[in-house]
Amino acid sequence: MSRGALAGIRVIDFGQMVSAPFCARLFADYGADVIKVEPPGGDAARAAGPFPGDAPDPEKSGLYFITNTNKRGVTCDVGTEAGRARFLRLVKWADLLIENHTPAQMKAWGLDYATLAEVNPNLVVVSITPFGQTGPYSGWNGYDLNAYHLTGASSRYCGRPGEMPLEHGTFAADYFGAVAAAAWAMAAVYGRRHTHGGQHLDVSSAEAIAATFVGGQNIGCYAQDGKFDKRTGVGMPLGAPATILPCKDGHVWMLALEPGQWNGIREVMGNPEWADLDLFQDMFQRAQNADFLYSMIEEWTMQHGKLEIMEKCQAAGAPVAAVFTVAEVQAHPHLEARDYFVAIEHPALGTVRTLGAPFKLPASPGGPGVPAPLLGQHDAEVERELAKFEQEQGGAR
Amino acid sequence: MASALPLKGVRVINFGWVWAGPVTGQTLGFLGAEVLKIESRARVDMTRNLPPFGEGIPGPDRSLSNHACWAGNGSVSLNLKHPEAKKLALELVAKADIVIENFGPGVMEELGLGYIELHKVKPDIVMLSMPAAGLYGPLRQVRTYGLSVTSTTGLDSLVGYKGGGPVPVENAFTDPFVGIFGAFAVLTALHHRDATGHGQHIDFSQQEAIMHIAGPAHIDYVLNGRVGGPKGNEHPLGGAAPHGVFPCAGDDRWISIAVPSESEWQALCAAMGNPPWAGEPRFATLADRLANIDALHAALAGWSAQFDDRELAATLQSHGVAAAPVLNIADLLHDPHYRARGTFVEVIHPLGFPETIYGAYVKTSRTEPDVQPGPVIGRDNDRVFLELLGLSEQRYRELKEEKVIY
Repeated sequence: MSRGALAGIRVIDFGQMVSAPFCARLFADYGADVIKVEPPGGDAARAAGPFPGDAPDPEKSGLYFITNTNKRGVTCDVGTEAGRARFLRLVKWADLLIENHTPAQMKAWGLDYATLAEVNPNLVVVSITPFGQTGPYSGWNGYDLNAYHLTGASSRYCGRPGEMPLEHGTFAADYFGAVAAAAWAMAAVYGRRHTHGGQHLDVSSAEAIAATFVGGQNIGCYAQDGKFDKRTGVGMPLGAPATILPCKDGHVWMLALEPGQWNGIREVMGNPEWADLDLFQDMFQRAQNADFLYSMIEEWTMQHGKLEIMEKCQAAGAPVAAVFTVAEVQAHPHLEARDYFVAIEHPALGTVRTLGAPFKLPASPGGPGVPAPLLGQHDAEVERELAKFEQEQGGAR
Repeated sequence: MASALPLKGVRVINFGWVWAGPVTGQTLGFLGAEVLKIESRARVDMTRNLPPFGEGIPGPDRSLSNHACWAGNGSVSLNLKHPEAKKLALELVAKADIVIENFGPGVMEELGLGYIELHKVKPDIVMLSMPAAGLYGPLRQVRTYGLSVTSTTGLDSLVGYKGGGPVPVENAFTDPFVGIFGAFAVLTALHHRDATGHGQHIDFSQQEAIMHIAGPAHIDYVLNGRVGGPKGNEHPLGGAAPHGVFPCAGDDRWISIAVPSESEWQALCAAMGNPPWAGEPRFATLADRLANIDALHAALAGWSAQFDDRELAATLQSHGVAAAPVLNIADLLHDPHYRARGTFVEVIHPLGFPETIYGAYVKTSRTEPDVQPGPVIGRDNDRVFLELLGLSEQRYRELKEEKVIY
């Protein structure tokens, strides 16, 4: 593998499922040496699937695969004295430790930040949990779902009024927390010469979303005026068209925020007479008559396919987009042209087509190239390198 | 505090606009970088005119949501339509480490500020471009807003009620997501620059970054050919049941409950006082509960609806069940957890009014992030033009009169 942008940084991924492992994957994508430390039973993602043919096999989990490419894997039972000692040897060798256990669990293992910092003062530790290391909910049990719904995002922005608020159908809070952790951890590692050593970064996935997404747009208003809004089930209640509508073969995001964009959509629809009505002449008036407007547009969209609608509206200057299914995204020529997908050979899964680098660094290409490790695959190899490192350290003393 | 912030000495020129680009600058700013957002009164960013305004008085320096989302950025006002302004911008770039922009592809080139031009004045510059679908490829000029870019990733196709069509997310969840992601991207390139002496132009396609959020559905399609769709709040991979949001007493009050393991199911049953329905064979194992999840969720909703959401969350947590209230906007500001963590902070804006913004959304043990109010347009002009670029007082005055610095 070519030397990536992060060559020379060593990361311990002591995580389970999505948040910490995905954060570590980002470092692995760009060339850091990421060592995944799993309990003898493996990361819980190994049991989460999806499995080919739905047949569970710890070496065939799709979630584990996409989250752990480019990493080396070792097993270590930190609940035993010998396991804990081995873990601390790894810690001494690393620049960054990424973990997502509860604060109580880390303490119970004798792996709280104070202990880790004593072993390696230059280590950056990033803890990614639903609620964070401090505050009244820091001792709570929680998962992605609990974190996401604690942010205000669902109540405010996702779902129909009167019905239950919605998550995104994925691990949205885990991914958000992972990315926030990666940015701050990268800064903390990069800036150690200024900060005079490592530090502990406390990422609450819930807090990251509550602050930057929901708070940013709403909290100033509520604090000053005491007013707040809730979800409407429509893409954008104050302007129209701005929502998802059904079409002949699925759904389209119909969107026009500027007069030229609306005129583009009108043109593509064949300039229907109803669109000339006064009540449809500006975005706000259209929003006030949204039910009527949407029923009229839908009559047209139902006669056309999503890709045709997208292509024609885009050509006419309107930011309309097909709601792509995952199958349609995977087949899109744009992503092919950008060589986004990567095919990786895995000993148990065979050839797997996986999502590529999240961003392109032309001078230091990144992205997955090495399959996720089998359980304990690199135990011996890592031990050899670690012993060599310790020998050199000893010699230097 | 004895330690300096980690990005001390890093200078960022931020041409970012609206939301994602400014959040990249904000994150770097919280971490100690000097971030100078370039903007102009000649074409005020639309988010500066979004109500509500400080003390209810409209104005481009008073938008509360703009301030929260942009805090951490500085501001330098340059009317880039003016050739002299472009020259000054390039002089600034020559003294910078990082340039950020989130226009469509080609816009920076039209402004005379494309990567090639920047590279001429600062050979090791790191430039981050974050257009919707990247810098090249058939969809490069696709028009989207943060609201809809997610529809090109598969993510929007997963959001909604079970068995129904997609429900739109009503704001750009992924704008702050890619904004923060952009900060990670520039720092990887900065690390590379320090190691090799080479800068580079980062091609950050929002589509490609966001697709990772939908990763579990993508890999299910790759492995099994299954095309996922909306399934409410159920577990993305069928790894927990119950797993959902359940009604509580009061108007629009809900609780989230996630039960992946057998021990947590037993804990939930105990917390409910082991009602007969929970002991039925159809709910005995996780596989059983998944097979009968609609009935399971209906029964749990019947039980939860009699309780206050916060009290019920506390009760369930005391049994070890993962449960939390579903908060609305008002709840966020008053929530004891966010208060204890200082998630939201009141600051006094230089124009004299108080505003509530968010502070460091990650907590750091060694360094205290630098949280300031949202920038007034041109906040940093004096320092930047007189000290950093060394303009004479007279020239500075002239350029302001000519609305080059504007």
